[in-house]
Amino acid sequence: MPPSSLIPRSRPLPPVLQEIPGIWRAHELAPVKARSTGHGALDALLPGGGWPIGALTELIPLIEGIGEVAVLQMALKRLCDEKRHVVFVHPPYIPYAPALLSAGLLLPRVLWVDAAHDEDAHWAAEQTLREGAAGAVLLWSHAVADRPLRRLQLAAEAGQSLAFIYRPVVTLDSSSPAALRIVLRPAPAALGVEVLKARGGRGGAVFLPVHAHV
Amino acid sequence: MLWLCVVSPVQEKHALKALASWAGQFSSCVCLDAERRLLWLEIGSSLRYFGGLDVLLKKVAAGLHALTLKATIGVAPTPEAAALLARQPQTLPVLQLDHLRQALAALPLNELAMLPAAIAGLQASGLTSVGELLALPRDALARRWGLQATDYLQRLLGERADPRKPYRAPQTYYRRFDFAEPVQTVEGLLFPLRRILYELQGYLRGRDAALQALNVAFRHHDHADTVLTLRTTDPQRDALRLFALLREKLERTQLPGAVTQIRLGVERFVALRDTQLHLWDESERHDASWSDLLDKLRARLGDQAVRRLGLRDDHRPEKAWCVESGAAAADLPPAFPDRPLWLLPPRPIERLPKLLGRPERIEAGWWNGEDSSRDYYIAQTAEGSRWWLYREAATARWFLQGIWA
Repeated sequence: MPPSSLIPRSRPLPPVLQEIPGIWRAHELAPVKARSTGHGALDALLPGGGWPIGALTELIPLIEGIGEVAVLQMALKRLCDEKRHVVFVHPPYIPYAPALLSAGLLLPRVLWVDAAHDEDAHWAAEQTLREGAAGAVLLWSHAVADRPLRRLQLAAEAGQSLAFIYRPVVTLDSSSPAALRIVLRPAPAALGVEVLKARGGRGGAVFLPVHAHV
Repeated sequence: MLWLCVVSPVQEKHALKALASWAGQFSSCVCLDAERRLLWLEIGSSLRYFGGLDVLLKKVAAGLHALTLKATIGVAPTPEAAALLARQPQTLPVLQLDHLRQALAALPLNELAMLPAAIAGLQASGLTSVGELLALPRDALARRWGLQATDYLQRLLGERADPRKPYRAPQTYYRRFDFAEPVQTVEGLLFPLRRILYELQGYLRGRDAALQALNVAFRHHDHADTVLTLRTTDPQRDALRLFALLREKLERTQLPGAVTQIRLGVERFVALRDTQLHLWDESERHDASWSDLLDKLRARLGDQAVRRLGLRDDHRPEKAWCVESGAAAADLPPAFPDRPLWLLPPRPIERLPKLLGRPERIEAGWWNGEDSSRDYYIAQTAEGSRWWLYREAATARWFLQGIWA
């Protein structure tokens, strides 16, 4: 099998094929390209040893304010260090500049895209992923249907970015086209990370210390 | 000298001028005869730049095709010969003066730019082709049809100089397009809009310039104009890219009524960055696609929706950040104590969750009347969320202002 770096993952499927669900391309079975999460225990659970590149990662926090974004911080910081951009699409609140800076996300590298509704937010995330110009895209979505997710998964495959989508708890029971699906739950002085589905990975759960303060 | 003549299918003067501006990309000497709907480009001096006549002709043909103009062209060493050839279907370029007589010989008389009466008279005396006319003695022709006729023939064959005043493209770009019938749909606007942008692209190439802002106004019968302003992050001159951005904007704009006229204007021009024309290294390529992306997002979501963050020198948490409008956001040294990722407009809370650690006192604003003294706490709710709370010293009320996400 050739090394994954030689396989062109960037070419999107022809439009006709994009409409058909469940098409697998040969290279999707190749080793997964990934970027370390910065947490060894979590990397060990994930196919390719980190957040997948060119694939959609679905994050479902059971409640907000438990470190659901902090879990990405080390990967995002490294992207900023490499002069890549991090795009927040439709976040629920104001991304607070002093906190971003303390987390090592250089402000000129961060883009905050607001959207009037879910449809615009998905469109913006899709464009950003497809263009491949950003290092990571974080999208906050209320969409329950899986069709918009399928489009994002395809857009993620077209680009070479990290692609994260935050989804509400109600979507937990429905199926998802995302390559990686993770539930985030509060735990005493930690964040519980449970891998529900990982294409080519083994799944499982870990607890990560994401809140530095007591 | 070598002349390329274009017979324009459009008649209106401003459309012809736009075409002349467009042609500036192929030649530094463009001449216009609005009455005869003719446009000349002196291409002898630009052949080398374009890599030969074939390449240049292909480019001109592709350019006219993009403008959706069914124009015919002719190439010859004199303007009048080029015009004559351009009026024929399928002619070969004539490159040398010596070959001109022979190349024109078989053409019919009635295409010559002579007085209709002269042409009719010549035909009445049994002449049919240009070759037969050129074989007649010139002094006899001059006696019968005047010096005007022989002067024309001399200029046609290059025996006499034919100086022309070059068309000077305006310094600011303005293009008007009038519809014969008011247009009801956006689709109906897109077609002329694309043509106008291709004209603009030719003009920009001729000036070796690009733009970062573009105004388009749509005129309505009984409403004020709809004006769209397009701004791009990087200098642009690519017609299709500008078209895609404008289209996105237009499709999200509520037009109050049918459109009777489009006006496009560009006031300021900038140099185009070389990176867009030549090979670029990887980081520049990322930058280019990044600014393309920003343009695309802004065109659909609005300028205000695409934000960069910055810091402000203020102790009050809600004033310590800002949305940067400028291109570069300055980074102050990160001297902040721990701060939550999400900032909320302060909202009063009823039940106080468990407070963690010691408070941080923040006092600010006393110098401008917005006096505030607050004690900030990190708190943990029963459900496990981390909150950022403060207690207002003056009122002893509690507010939620941040969430550790």
